[in-house]
Amino acid sequence: MILNGKEKMERTKNYEEFKHLSSNLKKEKEALSSKVVVKIAMATCSIASGAGPVFALFKEKMSKLPKESVIVQTGCLGLCHSEPTVEVTLPGCEPVVFGKVDVKRAEMIIDGYIMKGEKFDFIIEGNQ
Amino acid sequence: MMKSKQIKIALRNCGHIDPERIEDYISCDGYAALGKCIFGDSPASVIDKIKLSGLRGRGGGGFPTGKKWELCAASVSDKKYVICNADEGDPGAFMDRSVLEGDPHSVLEAMAICGYCIGADEGYIYIRAEYPLAIKRLKIAITQAEEAGLLGDRIMGSDLSFKIRLKYGAGAFVCGEETALIRSMEGNRGEPVMKPPYPAQKGYMGKPTNVNNVETFANVAAILNRGAEWFSSIGTEGSKGTKVFALAGKVKNVGLVEVPMGTTLRELIYDIGGGIKSGKQFKAVQSGGPSGGCLTVKHLDTPIDYESLKAAGSMMGSGGMIVMDEDDCMVAVAKFYLDFTVEESCGKCVPCREGNKVLYQILNKITHGNGEMSDLDKLKNFGNIIKSTSLCGLGQTAPNPVLSTLDNFYNEYYDHVVNKKCAAKQCRALIEYRIIEENCVGCGACKRVCPAEAISGELKQKHLIDQETCIKCGACIKKCRFNAIVAE
Repeated sequence: MILNGKEKMERTKNYEEFKHLSSNLKKEKEALSSKVVVKIAMATCSIASGAGPVFALFKEKMSKLPKESVIVQTGCLGLCHSEPTVEVTLPGCEPVVFGKVDVKRAEMIIDGYIMKGEKFDFIIEGNQ
Repeated sequence: MMKSKQIKIALRNCGHIDPERIEDYISCDGYAALGKCIFGDSPASVIDKIKLSGLRGRGGGGFPTGKKWELCAASVSDKKYVICNADEGDPGAFMDRSVLEGDPHSVLEAMAICGYCIGADEGYIYIRAEYPLAIKRLKIAITQAEEAGLLGDRIMGSDLSFKIRLKYGAGAFVCGEETALIRSMEGNRGEPVMKPPYPAQKGYMGKPTNVNNVETFANVAAILNRGAEWFSSIGTEGSKGTKVFALAGKVKNVGLVEVPMGTTLRELIYDIGGGIKSGKQFKAVQSGGPSGGCLTVKHLDTPIDYESLKAAGSMMGSGGMIVMDEDDCMVAVAKFYLDFTVEESCGKCVPCREGNKVLYQILNKITHGNGEMSDLDKLKNFGNIIKSTSLCGLGQTAPNPVLSTLDNFYNEYYDHVVNKKCAAKQCRALIEYRIIEENCVGCGACKRVCPAEAISGELKQKHLIDQETCIKCGACIKKCRFNAIVAE
């Protein structure tokens, strides 16, 4: 994760420091492109439709994978008709959004898409 | 697909960043606009940029945001306030909640910029207590921003200080009206007061106050980062930028969408929304919540902007967009919204408190089959009086759902009043369940399921529904496997 290990951010004392911080964080964000990035919508609507256990499962399983990965909880993408949604970006690939993800589908995403690049019919956006 | 015709400005970070990590927001140009303002732009010049962008209030009123800031900046006072109105109350609307849950820092940054522009060092977010997750994330965001020196005392080491606190609303619809909101924040009853004086002159605690909606604030940093010209190149002549809508009802892809102003209702409902569910016919679309109106097929090519929607008999509102199909009864829909406003009226002024109740009673009479033709004239007459004599926006717009359905669906009202029929079969008093003798095999399933024991008939004989006893619950229709029961 970005700024891993640091509990608190240091107080920016002047504009130069802020600009420095901003450009550092942008660089760290760019560095994420070499990792598997999993974004799980965790807004009220997503949690109500079951995103909680899905998030927990990704957290648990992904750390055991040989691939470097980052799990991010986000707000909602606006795709209420398909919540819970999970967006996966593999290194060098366009983001792919999976819809109506439950624990079973989450395992399929990890074992199938992330490990082997397999496609599923519950991909709702990107690279179908 | 959903993405095609959308442009995301207010929702630019929603679903892409972790709302509980300020680092994510900063890495997406977060707080850069605030820094640029403090260290290189005068308040007047920032206000000019907001004016030039053409941004207008997204809470429904559509007042030019730059103008609002300018008025408040011009007020002379030792203390001023910035308020973010997050008292989202329209039934079925959740635009503000999504922004606050998905990208809280965008609102905080914009409030600080506003504070810089108008000369305020204190801001409040008036948020519904029913939004616990949004509240939690806002609290985290405020703490993180203060620790990072991007809010609070001496932001980025400059002379600007700006603190943000939360105030919780108890869920009264009228508190979305800015004067009522301010009264409620002061610990008084949430009742609107006469304008002028406007909050820009005399607002919270009697001090000049600038109130903007969540979505309005969410646009500010993007405008300053990418330029007023960029923002004003999106949208129509009078309405710039985009609008977020909570698309709901009988549409395939319900969800939160952000489209450029000028997108037509047809594009929104069919291209983005995917059309009507289960192959039914489109009937109406309701925008603007309880203050808005219902538009029909002939309005589908209306561009979505403040003026066009108003001219068509509805309004932009805060972003609720409810799609209805042939199974929806427009009289019942009007009654639903009026029921809401009658419940939410604060009771301060007579036209709103009593007038809307009368409108509701007339609608109730019509849906129960007791309507007369003179009632339709009364609805129109009373509705217009309430609109022109109510104190605040709630009363001034409450009759809109009735008046717009009367205009656009007069036949349906006529059918209810004269023929005592409800074509959509929603008004229970006006429908009759009947058994088609040819189809009835006398299995007795309907008889067993009827909770009112209104169905009689021997096994393998034709059954009969007693209209006096029938409570019109529809249980028999669902149970019958031979299409032998109809509702008429």
